[in-house]
Amino acid sequence: MKLPNRTFALFIVTAALATLPWWAGDLYKLHLAALICAYWVLIGGLNLVVGYSGQLSIGHVGLLAIGAYCFAILAGTHDVHPAFAIAASGALCALCGLLLGLPSLRLPGFYFAMATLAFALIVTEITLAQGNLTGGGVGLSVPGFPPPFDTPRGSYWLILTLAALVTWLSWNVARHTWGRALVAVRDSAVTAQAVGVPVFRAKLTVFVFSGFTAGVAGALFAVLQSYITPDTFVFDLGLFFFVCIIIGGRGHILGPAVGTIVLTALPEMVAPLAKLGNFFYGLLLLAVVLLVPEGIGRVFELLLQRLRPRRESHVVKPDLDRLAKAIEHGRSAR
Amino acid sequence: MSLVARDITKRFGGLTALSQVSLELNPGEVHGLIGPNGSGKTTLLNLMSGYYRPDAGKIELDLTDISTATVQRRAALGIARTFQKPRLLPTLSVLDNAMLGGWRDARAGFLSTAFCLPRVRIDERLLRSRAEELLHGVGLSHAIGRRANLLEHAEQRFLEIARGLAQRPRFILLDEPAGGLTPAEIEHLGAVIGVMRAEGVGVLLVEHHTDFVFRISDRVTTLDVGTMIKHGTPDEVRRDPDVIRVYLGA
Repeated sequence: MKLPNRTFALFIVTAALATLPWWAGDLYKLHLAALICAYWVLIGGLNLVVGYSGQLSIGHVGLLAIGAYCFAILAGTHDVHPAFAIAASGALCALCGLLLGLPSLRLPGFYFAMATLAFALIVTEITLAQGNLTGGGVGLSVPGFPPPFDTPRGSYWLILTLAALVTWLSWNVARHTWGRALVAVRDSAVTAQAVGVPVFRAKLTVFVFSGFTAGVAGALFAVLQSYITPDTFVFDLGLFFFVCIIIGGRGHILGPAVGTIVLTALPEMVAPLAKLGNFFYGLLLLAVVLLVPEGIGRVFELLLQRLRPRRESHVVKPDLDRLAKAIEHGRSAR
Repeated sequence: MSLVARDITKRFGGLTALSQVSLELNPGEVHGLIGPNGSGKTTLLNLMSGYYRPDAGKIELDLTDISTATVQRRAALGIARTFQKPRLLPTLSVLDNAMLGGWRDARAGFLSTAFCLPRVRIDERLLRSRAEELLHGVGLSHAIGRRANLLEHAEQRFLEIARGLAQRPRFILLDEPAGGLTPAEIEHLGAVIGVMRAEGVGVLLVEHHTDFVFRISDRVTTLDVGTMIKHGTPDEVRRDPDVIRVYLGA
């Protein structure tokens, strides 16, 4: 793909998203778009954990809940400025990510998933039990953003900006050395070790990062809900985040983004699908896993490849002078 | 200045995989390690690269004991390896696979990477140009942008070597690199190993193809059921009656 095309596509998408309040039609659709962006703040970070480093966390809804309650308590009960409250939600969830990741990221895949599941369940119980802090089963009302973000448009733009920021951050990680190291952790831990990647530390680092974005997402989500109870954070939601990434494709950013949009918007926009509820998710997941196990992202790639000429050569022909120079150059850099 | 396995014993449960085996790998030398299936060649390689810990004996680098150093630590000290069955990242490009070898040269941390600080771009440019040169060097010019899962077997072997060399190793341990290659490709492999030697890299060559090993090695060590039966120049080893007995069953 040529670079100008890419820049052009990026420009079109940015322009379309930024002007969405004018063409979305009604406030409900705008709210839905803001909700998708808030979800993406979490999923964009989680994508580095699930899609890149291959750690199957299904309990990020627990972190979302902690972020949401942290924001509601700080900004609502204690009148902290919402900007600080959002940052505090992120920081608290990064810390929770660290505490959860330290013991559990050493576990093999299945057991790690169970640990995150247990974490999400524990968070729900704690929000119910600590009534004087969280309002228990009654819940808490959440204050809105300060001006100029207090209108539906304003809060949409704020959340969109944060979603774009998370996209940019995770894209930077994915396309550089860190991204390769994470894929190595996912596809072959033995290879990762062989080239010197500290496997556990790499997993923990992205997990803490995903904790931070989950905390920020929790704060944004809480504002959009305007009232939160433990029932807001059902376990299905954690599974939903996970499924968005699997359907979007592991090791992609665009794919999971499309997955998030489709899975959030479709059931809302198409009435018959709403009736199907979880059946729709299940069907879509089944179709993707059976037909395109590498997800939507891979479908894009394959379509792009169709446009390119195929190169068939498989002949290995070493260029020994060049090899000698490359090795020598590497050694002198030592 | 060498990588040494000293009187190594390694047991798996009741099975003694290696018993009192020693091996010295010097810079700029090709050291062949041969032996029948199950003789402990790969076990020794895994001990030297840090995947196993010895039950007795030591692994030393420049006279320092590194027996308990992690695989990652040994990679940082300049020990690279390839695998019997190539272990590549199938969804990444050939270039990305080779660049993975430069991990320890990328100095930017996670946050600098996330914010794409200038340091990251400098690292990236350096790693890319080195990986590209190595890929051209080992003969993969035609496949640089291809996804690694589209490579044929020989290409995968050469890509693993390029990844190992991208680590700028002092010693590289090759686990059956000629396995599954055609005669012409084995020739290429020999030439590539020759260049590594000429550039001062110490090459440990674990192989089944004894002809190939005798042809390109400076020294050869022969194992049989976990013990060393002969060590010396290719000619000495080839003529040794024990080696002949093991290989010809006479």
